[in-house]
Amino acid sequence: MTSAEVTPSASDAGKPRSEMSRRIGRFRRNRLAVVGLIIVAIACLSALFAPVIAPYHYATLHQGQEFLPTGSPGHIMGTDILGRDVFSRVLYSLRTALFIAIVAELLSLVISFVVGLVAGYKGGKIDQWLMAGTDVMFAFPGYLFAVLLVAVLGRSTWAVILALTIASWVGLSRLLRAQILRLKSMEFVEAGRAMGATGWTLVMRYMVPGAMGPVLVSTSFGIPANMLAESGLAILGLGVAPPMPSVGTMINEGYRFVQSFPHLIGWPVVVFVLIMLAFTWVGDGVRDAFDVDES
Amino acid sequence: MKVVTFVVRRVLRVILCLWVVSLLTWTLLQFAPGDFASIQAVGGGTVGLAQEASAEQRAGLQARYGDDIPVWQQYTQFMAGVLTGDMGPTYRYPHLTVEQIIARAFPVSAGLAIGAVVLSVVIAVPLGILAAVRRRTIWDTGTMFVATLGHGLPNYLAGLVLVLIFSAGLGWLPPFGWRGPENAILPIVALAVSPIAILARYVRNSVLENLREEYVVAAKAKGGKFRTIMGRHVLRNSMMPLVTVLGPMFAGLATGTIFVESIFGVPGLGRYFTEAAVQRDMPLLMGSTLFFAALLMVMNLAVDLIYAALDPRVRASLNLTRTAEEALKKDGAQPAASTSTERTSQSGGTL
Repeated sequence: MTSAEVTPSASDAGKPRSEMSRRIGRFRRNRLAVVGLIIVAIACLSALFAPVIAPYHYATLHQGQEFLPTGSPGHIMGTDILGRDVFSRVLYSLRTALFIAIVAELLSLVISFVVGLVAGYKGGKIDQWLMAGTDVMFAFPGYLFAVLLVAVLGRSTWAVILALTIASWVGLSRLLRAQILRLKSMEFVEAGRAMGATGWTLVMRYMVPGAMGPVLVSTSFGIPANMLAESGLAILGLGVAPPMPSVGTMINEGYRFVQSFPHLIGWPVVVFVLIMLAFTWVGDGVRDAFDVDES
Repeated sequence: MKVVTFVVRRVLRVILCLWVVSLLTWTLLQFAPGDFASIQAVGGGTVGLAQEASAEQRAGLQARYGDDIPVWQQYTQFMAGVLTGDMGPTYRYPHLTVEQIIARAFPVSAGLAIGAVVLSVVIAVPLGILAAVRRRTIWDTGTMFVATLGHGLPNYLAGLVLVLIFSAGLGWLPPFGWRGPENAILPIVALAVSPIAILARYVRNSVLENLREEYVVAAKAKGGKFRTIMGRHVLRNSMMPLVTVLGPMFAGLATGTIFVESIFGVPGLGRYFTEAAVQRDMPLLMGSTLFFAALLMVMNLAVDLIYAALDPRVRASLNLTRTAEEALKKDGAQPAASTSTERTSQSGGTL
């Protein structure tokens, strides 16, 4: 029965693809966005293959080789207070940051899909209650909540992921709800309903694809925001548990020596700033390609 | 009357939200490992009070911190303290009460935030106007490119870049501490980087929008001087939306100084909050969280009210204007529009 309902959309299949390729074309003409995407891709690859690329393990101590400066033989970026290779630690902290950021973003996507779709589609009392919940969470600054959560749960990768998820699902839920409300009154959705599509089919086949643009934009800004939050928590001493490296942890440990050994925080900061800028450019490019208002 | 009910409803909503925040925080903190006694034992070296305490004294201390009564009573007691301005002593600083610490530390954070807001307005507004007036020149593209750079840099990363340049590289400014005005420069600039970028973009777009308005074209056609047109028509109208940006920006800055304070060693409320979180100082955590949340909500409310006072269109959309609008509505001139605004204001009013 469902397949009969789906067939009309098959004739539309050509249109979304051309729409998509138009958007990809617009993205590719944005030079800054393409540069950003290349940097992000390099960062992701080096995070993925960190164990292969890194010359040492992040926790390997090189006794007698503490505080080696940048460009020392065997240690391109030098070594830190315990004689650990800074280059390897930067690579592994990218791995940590990206892993945490992506998992937290996926989790918050799942939550906000459920909340946003239910609130937007069902409306009424359920909608009011769910939105009241997001109201309260909005009043609570996200990072305050994240700090409290990690303080309660203790330093660990999953505590950070949970904290970031809880801090970020609210905005995305509202976004999805607004999209569903917008799409609900669209003619093609009504046409779908007229052809007998109900509930699940109506939402998943007709509405969700239309809501993907804003979701993609929000995700492309959400992942770097999560990376920033992760290292921010680590700077406060509330990030992943040591010896697991994180940009924030490296900054936290190296800051005392900033004037005598600036390379301890210099390299992680420079690499991280570059990646954050690249993400912003990609995000801007995606947003422009999808014509989504900043909101 | 409508205005009064609107304000009262919004204030009630803020209070309700704060209450829920307090419940959430309290519940969350109950799951934290360690109670008062064990935290005192761990922190004994620095605190000193519990270390030499006899059993009797310990019981006295527990009574002082309210650890000898059921959890829900602790909550009601604490909340009564919030209302009466007596939140009790903190774990970490037994001689100071929570409100004493807030009173001492918040002005430091607020000072940083005010400095950052002032700095960003002073820099961003001229830049934005310049970019708009010299549209599609190097001034415009240059400013906007720098704005994208700043936009992607949150305050702690900006602060670290500044430290690397001005402390480690040039040695002009101290990277850490809170002794003199030279300690405040880097934190304030770090906080201002992202607001400058956002504001400059905002001002540029706002000015551009106004330059296209018909009354500006008319003024130009009448032969008005560029200065007069800019001053009287364009700038006046394009600066008003700034209120909506600046209010939340200040609130965000005042509560968002925690990273910068922690990096630069500034003894502001954000630093106390972090310290309290790391050391599980429950009364201080509870107090500062509520304070931050209240600050944020009150600022947002204030901005909404100011904006409604400044802009008649906002008043109309909130159903706050009388006479003319209502007359229109009764005539049924715009039935669709009026029902939709009613609906939005209602759904905004629930909770």
